[in-house]
Amino acid sequence: MPDRELRHWKSLVRERADREWRELSLEVVDELACHLADLYAAALRGSSTEPEARQAALDALNAASFLELSKRPRARRSPVGIVHDLRIAARQLLATPVVTAVAVLSLALGIGANTAIFSLVNSLSLRALPVKDPQRLAILDAQDNGSWTFPLFEEVRRRSELFDGIFAWDTERFDLANGGVTEFVNGAWATAGLFDTLGVRPIVGRAFTQGDDVRGGGPDGPVAVIGYTFWQRRFGGGAHAIGSRLTLEGVPFTVVGVMPPEFFGPDVGHRLDVIIPVAMLTTVRPGRSFEQRDYWWLNVMVRLKAGQSLDQATDAIRSLQPQIREATLPTGWPATDLVQYLKAPLTLVPAATGNSSLRQRYERPLLTLMVVVVLVLLIACANIANLLLARATARRHEWSVRLALGASRWRLVRLLLTESLLLSAIGAGFGFLVARWGSQLLVAQLSTQTNTVFLDLSVDWRVLAFTTGTTVITALLFGVAPAYRAAGVAPMEAIKEQGRSTGAGANRLSLANALVVVQVALSVILVVAAALFLRTFTKLATLDLGFDHDRVLVVRMSAERAPIAPAQRMAVFERARQAVAALPGVHTAALSFVTPLSGNNWGNRLEVSGGVALDDSRRSALRNQVSTGFFETYGQRLVAGRVFTDRDRDGSTPVAIVNEAFARRFLNGANPIGHTLRRYPMRAGEASLEIVGMVGDAVYRRLRDPVPPTVYSSAAQSIDNLPTEVFNLNVRTAARSPALQTRSVADAIASVDRDLALTFRPLSDQISASLTQERIVAILAGFFGALALLLAGLGLYGVTSYAVSRRRTEIGIRMALGAAPAGVVRLVLSRVSMLVGLGVLIGAGISSWASQFVATLLYGLEPRDPATLVGSAAVLTAVGAVAGWLPARRAARIDPAEVLRDS
Amino acid sequence: MEFTGAIREAKKGTAELVVLAFLDDEPRHGYELAQLIEERSRGALTFNFASLYATLYKLEERKWIQGRWVEKAGQRRRRYYKITDQGREVLAAQRKEWLQFFQLIRDLAGVRYA
Repeated sequence: MPDRELRHWKSLVRERADREWRELSLEVVDELACHLADLYAAALRGSSTEPEARQAALDALNAASFLELSKRPRARRSPVGIVHDLRIAARQLLATPVVTAVAVLSLALGIGANTAIFSLVNSLSLRALPVKDPQRLAILDAQDNGSWTFPLFEEVRRRSELFDGIFAWDTERFDLANGGVTEFVNGAWATAGLFDTLGVRPIVGRAFTQGDDVRGGGPDGPVAVIGYTFWQRRFGGGAHAIGSRLTLEGVPFTVVGVMPPEFFGPDVGHRLDVIIPVAMLTTVRPGRSFEQRDYWWLNVMVRLKAGQSLDQATDAIRSLQPQIREATLPTGWPATDLVQYLKAPLTLVPAATGNSSLRQRYERPLLTLMVVVVLVLLIACANIANLLLARATARRHEWSVRLALGASRWRLVRLLLTESLLLSAIGAGFGFLVARWGSQLLVAQLSTQTNTVFLDLSVDWRVLAFTTGTTVITALLFGVAPAYRAAGVAPMEAIKEQGRSTGAGANRLSLANALVVVQVALSVILVVAAALFLRTFTKLATLDLGFDHDRVLVVRMSAERAPIAPAQRMAVFERARQAVAALPGVHTAALSFVTPLSGNNWGNRLEVSGGVALDDSRRSALRNQVSTGFFETYGQRLVAGRVFTDRDRDGSTPVAIVNEAFARRFLNGANPIGHTLRRYPMRAGEASLEIVGMVGDAVYRRLRDPVPPTVYSSAAQSIDNLPTEVFNLNVRTAARSPALQTRSVADAIASVDRDLALTFRPLSDQISASLTQERIVAILAGFFGALALLLAGLGLYGVTSYAVSRRRTEIGIRMALGAAPAGVVRLVLSRVSMLVGLGVLIGAGISSWASQFVATLLYGLEPRDPATLVGSAAVLTAVGAVAGWLPARRAARIDPAEVLRDS
Repeated sequence: MEFTGAIREAKKGTAELVVLAFLDDEPRHGYELAQLIEERSRGALTFNFASLYATLYKLEERKWIQGRWVEKAGQRRRRYYKITDQGREVLAAQRKEWLQFFQLIRDLAGVRYA
């Protein structure tokens, strides 16, 4: 006997029971279906045709009442059937596919956005490092200098009784290429303690040891441990990786181990491809020694002893601070600074979640975005609540009949909440997909050419808990209003008022109106936020930089591994500059020590002859060393005096060019030409510089910073003992995009010296990268602001349409009595404008209070920027007008005769 | 045959008796019972199938009958009901009561077999 027949009847029995809200046990459904199938088969065996037989069985089913049946305990499902509820809910959702689709879509976007931002917050700030017992990790807080010297680390490490483990590290990009165009990997210098302190062992090969961490390398020479993804990428995950050669910065290293896949290093946001011992610094960067007392470059992480609190550990290290500091006094520091050095207290900060510069930078933006997406979800909730309310009103009749027939109120409410939960869960399901895709996209946006951001976005219990919690809360938010309405239905009331349009309908409308006001208010907040961030971004992106960044290619030239005598380096760079400048298509080329917005800077305290008296803290100026042609290449305006010429070379008077900000700060705005400047306090043997020119202000380090006092000196005059391993060549192309010039520039430099390592980057990329954070915040806030507008518009439209349809009769009568269509439109719009007006007022009020919290993210405008507030209110009003006008127009077209006939 | 008035009322009370009686000879499943009742009463007695099962479950709750799923070769799995000892006692008692009732009616109302 085909089972299909039985299944068919089973589903009919179940559907019938659902319609009657009866819960039958599976066994009983089986038995009843079997009966019907027998009935059908018997009829077929008799003289009936197939449709007749089917109809006979159907008639039997339809004539049946499950009321008595469901009173029998065996027939009842036990425990009370959630599956049954879900089935009814699913059927209800399918019955109104458009409403369901709109709801699921808004929920998917709302919950998805929340999950996406939360998973970023989670991996950036909440997730513990994937290492052994991360709660016991702490970082030696380097507040004063941002990092530590190796000798200080060594002094702490020597006192092994302090901690269970300690290591120092510094991340850096290493060049894999052997000269020419660079190929960077994310690397780190680390002491051998990294592996034991973190409790992470290589999965293949070995870690490097104290024996490897010595000048020039241990018994195996220079060794490196590589990361899992790098192993996969470079060696295809093969065992042959161990023992193979890897050239880093021109130095051959032997790969000795591969770290496990989940390990990314002690820095969150940064995945290490290569780890090499710190002692290799001396080999890789000739001229540098890792033991230098004035070379600040390392982070220090420790593992606390079991049971040791952070405070105890801090006390322990502070008790030894005098000895540690005394033994590591930086060389060549002025006495006042040394006193500071000795006094600065050593402090430990928790590091279970790792170290991260990204965290500091993105914590506030992410928090802001989190608030934004929560608001979007709230608006979506209000919308769905309104949709469900409308449906609830349509179902009041059904409910009151059910109540009259003995269904309990609790059952009614439970069913409705199940429906909301199901809706929310489906939305969350899609939302999860949106989140996976969205968060990956976001992380990709965070990366720049020089900084590949890696965040572990795998789903953990926190993300799951967050999404589940959001789903449930969302369901409650939009499900409670209809459920509340259902609970208020009186058994026969709805039946009595069938066909009339008073009472409950009006109630539903006031609740719906309140929801619309809330939506509009929340949308105003989001639109204000979006406008603030978009304007911030636009202001920064169109900021007058003081130079022209189009068509400038920045070439970082590194002579670190080139066999060039240090004294000859500047001459080689200059020859490279001349070779490039001579290329067709190149307008000018100039050398500079620093390029703007590269993240690097150089500065010191200065004093000027005849200058104003300044506090020590106000004497800082940023410095740059540039060749001839620099100001021309950058299009930087000469205000007074002259630019550098070929005559400014070693042996001639040391000269400087300052910017206007410098003249304002140091000379109260007086003409600086002819004044001399020098380091403050002056060190022995240092020359004074004569100011020969003044240029316009130009952005140096950060777009947001006011242009700092800046001093340019001539690259041809070696007066500052600057390191000369690396210099930048700035190339302005005549017409072509600078990226297209890369090849010919590389060839021209190679013709001067093949061993220079070159990294290319258009200046506009560098500027764009410095705006990453602002761009992301602006794009997301703009997107969500638009989404909020759309949702609010839909909500307003829905409520107005509903109101119009309810007042059809009234409007028809008014029109029959002579009301003009324009009057009807006014009537409808006056309601809409009241709702929108109230919402805008509330929203604007909240915005002007809340905007203070994003003040630090803004640029060039006040948090309570009146134009933004007014503009946002206008946008909302316009959306409200459109959303209200469509139903109003429909109302004005009501045919009075038809209405009067119908009523 | 259509019953009206008093007989129709009385019919409602007979459902349990009829079901027990048909299960007295052998275990049967629900559909079989429905067919038998309809056949033997020549269509005079029919149950809506939902109430038939409601009756069966009621009798089962009272432990007068016992249901069991049985799978026979070439057939659907069906639930067979068989009468229990307690059910037999109830059936005997009810038969006796009905008999006494018929006699009473005969004596009082002059209803006789044709």
